[in-house]
Amino acid sequence: MGLRWYHFVLWAAFIGGMFMLPEFASKGTLRTIIFANFLAIFAISWDVLSGRTGYISFGHPFLIGIGAYTTAILTKRFDVPVEYSIPIAVVVTMIGGLIVLLPALRIKGSYFALVTLAYMELMYQLVQVIRPDLTGGTRGISGLTTLTRGAVNGYYMSVSLMLIIALAMWLLMRTRVGTALSAIGMNEESVRGSGLSPTRLKFFAFLTSAFIAGLGGAFYVHYLGSIAPRALFEINFAFTIIVAALIGGASTIIGPIVGAFFLTFLLEFLRPILPGAERYFVYGGVALFLYMYQPKGLYEIFMRGWAKLRGTRT
Amino acid sequence: MTQILIQGLLLSGLYALIAMGFTLIFSVGRVLNLAYGAYLMVGGYIYFYVAQTLGMPKIAGVLLAAVVGCAMGLLKYRLIVRPMKGDHVAIEISTLILAVVLQAGIVLVFGDSSKILLPIVPGVIQVAGASVTYNILAATLASWAILGGLYMFVRKTHVGRAMQAVSMDKKGAAISGVDPDSVNMITWGISGTLGAIAGVFFASYTQLSPSMWVAPLIIAVAVVIVGGIGSIVGTLIVAHIIGFMEIISVAWIAPELRGVFTMLLIIGVLIIRPQGLFGREEL
Amino acid sequence: MSYPLQIRNLVKRFGGLVATNDVTFEIEQGQSVGIIGPNGAGKTTIFSQIMGEIRQTSGTIKLYGEDIGALSTSDRIRRGVSRTYQVPRPFSDMSVVENIRVGLMPDSIWQMVIRSPNRDREIELALSVGFAETDLQRTPSELSMGDLRKLEMARTMATNPTVMLLDEVFAGLTVGEIAQIAALIQQMRKDGMTFLIVSHDLKALEPLVDTAIAINQGGIIAQGQFGDVMANETVRSSYLGTA
Repeated sequence: MGLRWYHFVLWAAFIGGMFMLPEFASKGTLRTIIFANFLAIFAISWDVLSGRTGYISFGHPFLIGIGAYTTAILTKRFDVPVEYSIPIAVVVTMIGGLIVLLPALRIKGSYFALVTLAYMELMYQLVQVIRPDLTGGTRGISGLTTLTRGAVNGYYMSVSLMLIIALAMWLLMRTRVGTALSAIGMNEESVRGSGLSPTRLKFFAFLTSAFIAGLGGAFYVHYLGSIAPRALFEINFAFTIIVAALIGGASTIIGPIVGAFFLTFLLEFLRPILPGAERYFVYGGVALFLYMYQPKGLYEIFMRGWAKLRGTRT
Repeated sequence: MTQILIQGLLLSGLYALIAMGFTLIFSVGRVLNLAYGAYLMVGGYIYFYVAQTLGMPKIAGVLLAAVVGCAMGLLKYRLIVRPMKGDHVAIEISTLILAVVLQAGIVLVFGDSSKILLPIVPGVIQVAGASVTYNILAATLASWAILGGLYMFVRKTHVGRAMQAVSMDKKGAAISGVDPDSVNMITWGISGTLGAIAGVFFASYTQLSPSMWVAPLIIAVAVVIVGGIGSIVGTLIVAHIIGFMEIISVAWIAPELRGVFTMLLIIGVLIIRPQGLFGREEL
Repeated sequence: MSYPLQIRNLVKRFGGLVATNDVTFEIEQGQSVGIIGPNGAGKTTIFSQIMGEIRQTSGTIKLYGEDIGALSTSDRIRRGVSRTYQVPRPFSDMSVVENIRVGLMPDSIWQMVIRSPNRDREIELALSVGFAETDLQRTPSELSMGDLRKLEMARTMATNPTVMLLDEVFAGLTVGEIAQIAALIQQMRKDGMTFLIVSHDLKALEPLVDTAIAINQGGIIAQGQFGDVMANETVRSSYLGTA
């Protein structure tokens, strides 16, 4: 895996820093960071599949939603304890996602993007009308078990989850699986021509992505304590996740995290100035501009700057 | 029963118009324009502004919408698609971001709430025992007329045939003296125009709202996946299949399940015949 | 005796067009066969069918006696047949060694995770096709056409083939680059590799092959020693378009 001493140092600093944050930040900031942590989880989930292989998924809210609704329904309607409902939710997300998206994975990347887009719309319609007794219909479900109380505990839960996922994915992507998935994004035909099965690799990436999405969705809904279809199955949510991963830097792990934090704070910053959906105008514009200037995101901008600095040093 | 037949025909005509602009870009440029729905949105809003807010004649509204749609298409091609040189992923992302930005822009200018468009042609007519608004009838007739015109254009004119050539084999077309760049420009312009006009009709069928670009995009997507690319007639037929499926599920099964059968059809086609019912052997 | 590669009655139709017309031939162990013919004769189409990128309309393809006609491309590569492409298809954002790394990978996700890349082998392959140590970290955008072809060969060799299909491997190369690749092929022949080589550059091809197959309009018009095939009247007129 090629781990060097500075990898350990950077990770230790990162983890340590994140854990010490509550000493310095206000409750309000902490709540914002909690949201950023969850967005980072979703962005990492998206990036593992779409950022690497180029199979752009607009359906991540779909996967997150399955995880969220499964645990919500199990705990609220069937009194299943949270320790069971969350793992079940993750499995259901993986299976559900697979059933629905497997046919599309086998084919060209563009079709995959289209199909995920269509499914998102479908889920939005369906969840409001199918068994509203279970799903709570248009209004959703409220009064769910919350795992933590208060901003600080919520922060620790979200940051632990985020760090565990980030570290695990970072390690996984440093193996040859990461190389293979990135290769698919560059030239899928050549991957096949190298004796590998792209379909199996995409399958694996998808399952991993769904695992994280389901896990994140389940924890998220138990942090919020409620769930509503409008917030979940919305194109803006998909957009936010995708932009977070891209702006930060796709195909990396730190990229989606950076992007998620950048976006969350940008949105908070814009909130008093542009309260409504107009914020998306600014931040979409920023996203578009950044993406066209440097499609590899802030991570690349940083790395190049760093390389330049070191270059002038020697 | 006749009610279903008529509603189905009417809706399908509209769906065909909506899908056509999207299919053109995909088949000629092999590129996914996720901001396609935005043409409809902008077209609808321009019509609304010109015809209702300003009170000018309706035809002016439609024409202006068409012109703006065309301009949007050309601009999008020059500024976003061409610099990206066929990087599919980058284009998908950029057009999506653009769509969201445009939606937010519409909210900035026109506000968040949905608006009802006054019918383009007021009045109702009784056709075989079913009441049909002149509005929808006009929309469908216009759709057919436009599609007929497009078909003639693609088949009979020089430019149209150039488009067909590029859609079949870009390199071959280039070698034969066709300039893929100008063909692409023209196609994007046509796509924008079609989209904007479709938007006017679509808005009068449902309503005007900043998030209205998603539904038509999904419809266009469904038609592309199920129908495949490479055949205008194929797109027409599939638009009718989907249109009728929706009407039937609304009338006979349940209104909420309107889109479900379309989705099932998409899955089915992807499994059994990925290149689409009328697609050329591509995949 | 099972031939490394045996093709029987291969036919490919695209609608009304017959791209491959009842092609039959076999290659012996360690042999090097050249495939020649005018543009559009269908040489690459035959390669694509052997590799499973195009499904044949009818006919059999056997690799060491095993019928591979229904296998996926990656399965066929696992069984020992591999090809290069007329237009090199490297991984654009990866270095030379990373490109080769993909070719060396096992097709098992578990193996990919638990075992590290074999960096020595990557470097060994890169050097063997003629890259210098300083080239190893370069990316495709910094490489010449000749280098890209070498990279493609290295990646193909990484899959450990016993039968190699080379498609127009000399096109667009300088004289020096042609000599380099030719030397590489000669070395591999000495080591026992079986080759099927498509090339327009007949001068470069001649020393590299034992026998030749001439194709025109999808069908074989001559087979045999290179010199004999080149002297064949039908073959000569096929190139001039008068056949």
